[in-house]
Amino acid sequence: MTARSLESGAPLGERAATSSLWTRIWQNDAPGYLFLLPWFIGFFGLTIGPIITSFYLSFTDFDLLTSPEWVGANNYIRMFTNDPKFWASMRVTMMFVIFSVPLKLAFALGVAMLLNRGMRGLPLYRALFYLPSLLGASVAIAILWRQIFARDGLVNDFLSIFGIVGPSWISTPQYSLWTIIILAVWQFGSPMIIFLAGLRQIPQDMYEAASLDGASRWRQFIKITLPLLTPVVFFNAIIQTIEAFKSFTPAFIISGGTGNPINSTLFYTLYLYQEAFGFFRMGYASALAWVLLALVGMFTAFSFLTSKYWVHYDE
Amino acid sequence: MTIRTDRRKFLMGSSALAAAGAFGVMPSWAQAQSLRLIFWGGQGRADRTYGVTDLYKEASDTDVAGEFLAWNDYWAKLATQTAGGNAPDVIQMDYRFIVEYAQRGAIAPLDEYVGSALKLDDFDADQLEGGKVDGKLYGISLGANSVATLINTGAFEEAGIEPPTNAWTYDDLFEIGEAFNSANIRGGMKAISDSSYNEPSLDNWLRQRGKALYTAEGQLGFDETDAVEWYQLWAKLREAGVCVAPDDQALDTGPLETTMLVTGRAALMPSNSNQLVGYQALVQDKLDMCGYPRIAEGQGGGHYRKPSMFFSVAGSSASKEGAAEFLNFFVNDIEAGKILGVERGIPCAAAVRDAVAPTLDEANQIALNFVANLGDLLGDLPPPPPAAAGEVDLSLIRTLGQEVGFGAKTPEQAGAELVTGATDILNRA
Repeated sequence: MTARSLESGAPLGERAATSSLWTRIWQNDAPGYLFLLPWFIGFFGLTIGPIITSFYLSFTDFDLLTSPEWVGANNYIRMFTNDPKFWASMRVTMMFVIFSVPLKLAFALGVAMLLNRGMRGLPLYRALFYLPSLLGASVAIAILWRQIFARDGLVNDFLSIFGIVGPSWISTPQYSLWTIIILAVWQFGSPMIIFLAGLRQIPQDMYEAASLDGASRWRQFIKITLPLLTPVVFFNAIIQTIEAFKSFTPAFIISGGTGNPINSTLFYTLYLYQEAFGFFRMGYASALAWVLLALVGMFTAFSFLTSKYWVHYDE
Repeated sequence: MTIRTDRRKFLMGSSALAAAGAFGVMPSWAQAQSLRLIFWGGQGRADRTYGVTDLYKEASDTDVAGEFLAWNDYWAKLATQTAGGNAPDVIQMDYRFIVEYAQRGAIAPLDEYVGSALKLDDFDADQLEGGKVDGKLYGISLGANSVATLINTGAFEEAGIEPPTNAWTYDDLFEIGEAFNSANIRGGMKAISDSSYNEPSLDNWLRQRGKALYTAEGQLGFDETDAVEWYQLWAKLREAGVCVAPDDQALDTGPLETTMLVTGRAALMPSNSNQLVGYQALVQDKLDMCGYPRIAEGQGGGHYRKPSMFFSVAGSSASKEGAAEFLNFFVNDIEAGKILGVERGIPCAAAVRDAVAPTLDEANQIALNFVANLGDLLGDLPPPPPAAAGEVDLSLIRTLGQEVGFGAKTPEQAGAELVTGATDILNRA
């Protein structure tokens, strides 16, 4: 910089201005960037880099041991035209998203409203209801689930009181996905906490006014609670939908990584994992990952586009 | 924000810190001799393995740093490390993957060390042969084993039924099944687990018919008729209540503790001879073993002495000779052999086998005797399966067997689909 301005014989004032700008940047901002450096390295090296690489790999055949081989769009073509397992796994994940998200949100909202009555020991209950989310999809939970939903499990013990002989829910193809949906609904902690915060924001005087006008509790819920809560519902729905699409661990642990019985718990992500680390088709697995990303992106975009018709923000 | 550090001082300080960090790890690189080892297995196998590495450290001052994972996680990790050029020096290898790893140079041929670092004079010839790919030695067998049916002798005694021997047939299986149903012990215990989607059972049954799962060229070794008959056979066994119900069988997700033998739903289960030790630790009743059922009286040849697993040396290893010396110790040292027992199969070095045999406990003795006395059950070692065999097993054999079990497909449909699907997968790979 300095050399160039000397050669071109720029006026002294400009030189001083340039150098002082640089000095200022260096003095003020450099330490900031220096402190950000570890994050930048992580972001570019461990996140952006692999994302770009996986996009490239999705157009190749790559088995980890030999170099990737360019195959154009073959992976994507095969997926949509000649891979029944792709559609089977897509169906399982779609079923999971469509049923687990609304059920979980409804359940979370219900519990949040119960807890929002200013009862004693609220922090304790909040913590207790949040607990299942912390336990998450651990091995212990998977084993517990097998105990509950097996042939001689808790559910069938309960049903036998009424003389009903239940099947082994967790290993029967028609029901196994539902046991995982119930597991997801059971982990309603984080949307519940957010709903609880949202409910606190609703001014009490609205309810008082409604009561004076003789509105029933149900009417109050429909006309006051729900509309004022829509931003929170929207937020929770987006987050939970993305979570549901990404869901992997419960099915992986409960089915031992197989997606059985008869692929009834073969989640999309589980199929992706099988292709990548079971059959070493990294190229095909990368393509699967990009299709999932596109799908989640489309769902989210659709939600945002329609949100203006049903989400009410404070003006 | 009143504390100010001069920038130059800060930079000097931090680079000194970084340098100190780098020097801090130097000594571990500079150590005389160290090797990395990776294997699959459970805690029991790890304890035995680390017993031997401790012994080796005393004997040779070489540090062997081991790492172990469950089978399912093992291959993902090994492939990732190999792709990153960071594979451990000594790699536990399976018959299923050895060709793939050898042909890609991921593991090194060991022929140049045979006779010097590796002494294999009294090593079983067939086990040595099993570790060869294209005529070169890529894996040292850690033990011979065979498929075997595990028998819960306590359950047989309780039901008052004579347990099967190596002579038994599928017809006997029907009879045992009926006997168990009329005895009705332990909440309706069945005779055998549903083995229709157990790959080794299908393999054994095909071999007795003079067929095979795969040919030497890596193609399918059976046709639709065979597959349909196999599913029909198991449909009959299921109908007669000889094997467990499909929704019970589906609870078996792989780990030992989820199997029908351990959960007490079946008295017989197809497995491997070296696994008796592992299962006995989980089952209260005494376990025994016999061969897989014969398709007809006197029909043999279904079994073979398989190298249960190998140790191979990574192609990228910087100390291949050191690794070969460790392999030599692992398979030839008598004391090492006593620690290892037959947990990885029957020792292949004659001297070790003779020294180890008298020291074994009962479960290990049963396994040793079984493999040593296969008699006419024994057939030739089949060629290593093609790379896609794992996918055929997971995507087709297991799923189709379940679909027939749950009534979603007929044996005829499943048989046809197995052949077309497997051909598809083999051609794609």
